[in-house]
Amino acid sequence: MSHAEVPILKVERLSYRYPTGQIALCDVSFQIGMREVVGLIGPNGAGKTTLLLHLNGLLMGTRLAPRRGETASVVESVSDGGGRFEAENIAAGNRVPVEVLGMPVIPENLPEVRRIVGILFQDPDDQLFCPTVGDDVAFGPLNLDFPRDEVLRRVGEALAAVGLSGFEGRSPQQLSFGEKRRVCLAGVLACEPNLLALDEPSSNLDPRARRGLIEILRNCPAAQIIASHDLELVAEQCSRVIVLDQGRIQADGPSREILADEKLMAKHGLEVPLSIQYNLKLSPAPH
Amino acid sequence: MPGDFLDRYSRGGTICHRMSPRLKIILTVAVIVTCAFLPLSNWPLYGCLASLVFVALSLAEIPIAYLTRRLLLFLPLVLMTAIAVPLSRGFAGGWQTAGTVVIRAVVAFLAALWLVSTTPFDRLLAGLCRLGLPRLFAALLAFVYRYIHVLFDELARMRTAQRARTFKRPPGWRDWKGAVQLVGTLMIRALVRAERIHGAMCSRGWTGKMHSLD
Amino acid sequence: MHIADGFLSTQVCLGAGALSAGAIGLSLRKLNETVSTRTVPLTGMMAALIFAAQMVNFPLLLAPASGHLLGGVLAAVVVGPWAGCVAIALVLFLQMTLFADGGWLAYGANVLNMGVVGSLGGYAIYAGIRRRMPGPRGIVVGAVIASWVSVVAASALFCVEFSLSHYDEGFNLPGLFAVMTSFHSLIGVGEALITGGVVSYLLAVRPDLIAEPGSPAGAVAGLGRVVWSGAVAALAVAAFAAPFASEADDGLEAASKEVKIEGLVQEPRALLLADYKIPLPRFVSSAGSSDEAASGQSNGFWQKLSVSLAGVLGTAAILGITFALGGFSKSRIAPEATHAG
Repeated sequence: MSHAEVPILKVERLSYRYPTGQIALCDVSFQIGMREVVGLIGPNGAGKTTLLLHLNGLLMGTRLAPRRGETASVVESVSDGGGRFEAENIAAGNRVPVEVLGMPVIPENLPEVRRIVGILFQDPDDQLFCPTVGDDVAFGPLNLDFPRDEVLRRVGEALAAVGLSGFEGRSPQQLSFGEKRRVCLAGVLACEPNLLALDEPSSNLDPRARRGLIEILRNCPAAQIIASHDLELVAEQCSRVIVLDQGRIQADGPSREILADEKLMAKHGLEVPLSIQYNLKLSPAPH
Repeated sequence: MPGDFLDRYSRGGTICHRMSPRLKIILTVAVIVTCAFLPLSNWPLYGCLASLVFVALSLAEIPIAYLTRRLLLFLPLVLMTAIAVPLSRGFAGGWQTAGTVVIRAVVAFLAALWLVSTTPFDRLLAGLCRLGLPRLFAALLAFVYRYIHVLFDELARMRTAQRARTFKRPPGWRDWKGAVQLVGTLMIRALVRAERIHGAMCSRGWTGKMHSLD
Repeated sequence: MHIADGFLSTQVCLGAGALSAGAIGLSLRKLNETVSTRTVPLTGMMAALIFAAQMVNFPLLLAPASGHLLGGVLAAVVVGPWAGCVAIALVLFLQMTLFADGGWLAYGANVLNMGVVGSLGGYAIYAGIRRRMPGPRGIVVGAVIASWVSVVAASALFCVEFSLSHYDEGFNLPGLFAVMTSFHSLIGVGEALITGGVVSYLLAVRPDLIAEPGSPAGAVAGLGRVVWSGAVAALAVAAFAAPFASEADDGLEAASKEVKIEGLVQEPRALLLADYKIPLPRFVSSAGSSDEAASGQSNGFWQKLSVSLAGVLGTAAILGITFALGGFSKSRIAPEATHAG
């Protein structure tokens, strides 16, 4: 992290166990600065999606206690966000493992946290639930209690940002997969988040749509954390990369270094991206 | 797949399509209610109502073939229920009642068909809301409508996959089991998806409070 | 099953509509109290599921035809009674608008029959059985029995609604009951089979998805449940008993004495039937001629026979299904498992 200001995201010793008992995340710690674009890579089942769900409180993990290997009492997965972080943890002086802009991610703060952190989920059909595109993009701003004019302004701007101006009246059934994903992104952008968490944003997109998405992300001022198998995208977009495997952080550093480390990549089910293998010139260096 | 039943002609350009949804709803309900109140003996008035509906249908430029097909699907059910009346009296009577019922049902059906064929579903809902339909109920309806398409797609995919590994028509028991597994798997996937949708809603600030752009 | 417009009088429609609106309002309120933010996705998805599932062809084991799911009890078992009832109401609305399946005026009656009686009422029976039979077996057995009973009860309610709409037209209510009940007894068996099958499948694969009766989504207070299940059961019983009732009416009795077919007049009069008679007007008034009465009498025999057969076969089928599915249900949940996540 290269900024001296408050990090947009601070994760400290985050641990999470599924209701079945299986450990999903263990002792995960990292920070993200205000304008950083971070890649989150790792094999399937590493816990990338689980980690992203912690960023806005859909899941609430615990902080690994100081004693080696010992976890504090496990909290059930609470996807309604109305869950609780065990009072004993706070009372015991354990800080909440996830902090957004200095705010601990606890139930009382969730409304504000969710304005700051926007998540783009993998399946657009999970996220596009309103009858029309316009309604869906307006969903976030309406929940933020903005007046009608402000909502409409945001909808227009968000749709323009993703290149779908004029799509307000369309129904989701009429859209292609790429368009659906862009509408979902617009829905998130309309809330003007400071941190964008993206779960496999380029999956299932044709090359043109994929390139379009990369452009949109490039023009987006928010900090980003991109969980992806698309290592080329990560190489192109992200200045920093975190490798997650078996719920633990295996590496965290400049993307060029990590992505070029053949042994490291192979060890965690990944490969060195072609562009780095052949030292190809990428489009304007990532910021 | 019935998926294409939905909203097939509702985005046309005729005058019927352009009418306000609220007006159309009121007209349709008026026709249905009038139907219900008219005694069968009043043939001329029934004739008027029926022709009114037919005029509306032709103004909306709904293909005759489509109308006939829908009507043919509808009639057997109505006839079956209507015939129960004379049947219950050993065919010695009750024909008048049965006849009234069938005529009313057909006229009402056509009126409703007109309404639905000229109004896209979301505008229909909006019109109903302005006429008093509770917003939560309308929101639920919109949600269901949205996900019917998703589920139909999933069902179609699962069916295709199932059929790809079915070489001849299986004996009754296994055939039934296949259908049960289809529905069961669909349910599981859909309910798990509902949980994800809930997460996505909460991520954008959902608290259960209804909002609307109008 | 869907009542089209034209069958019921406007007054009956409005009355049924008022009752349904009340039930839906109550269900929505209960839902918001317990699952709040989940109300829309859970109920909505269940409705979409039932809508889609109704399109699936279930080959009937004994006949070369295929059956389809109605889904009231299935919905209630999986997401609880309140969400189940609302889900059915949503499905009915969509079928009414998109398919013109079910009339606009008759919407209230349809919701009353299939949502309130079919789902809420069916759930009451299911919950009652589950209390006596804990564990996965109780779930399957409860679902099977509740499906059958609720289908028959719903058809009985339709008969009542229909007769209330046409009572001034000289009407043979018991006869209607006989026809409807026989028919729906068979439909109920199909419904029970499908519901039982799907519930067994869910129990085997994802038992955590089925709402626990004690959990907030599934809670039905003790007294409420007893009243509900009693009412539904009463409807079902009436459905079978009603065809045996008519001849007790004075008008027909007199006519029958005239024609000397008293032998055919038999009325095992349960108290329930007497209750039926009181609020309903006497619809035998204009059924004047003795010829009509005579043919009514002889047909009365066949009515009773068909209804009895339907009842016996239906019950036997249900018991058979219950044993078969209950025995095959292999589930991983322990009897005391709670609803996860």
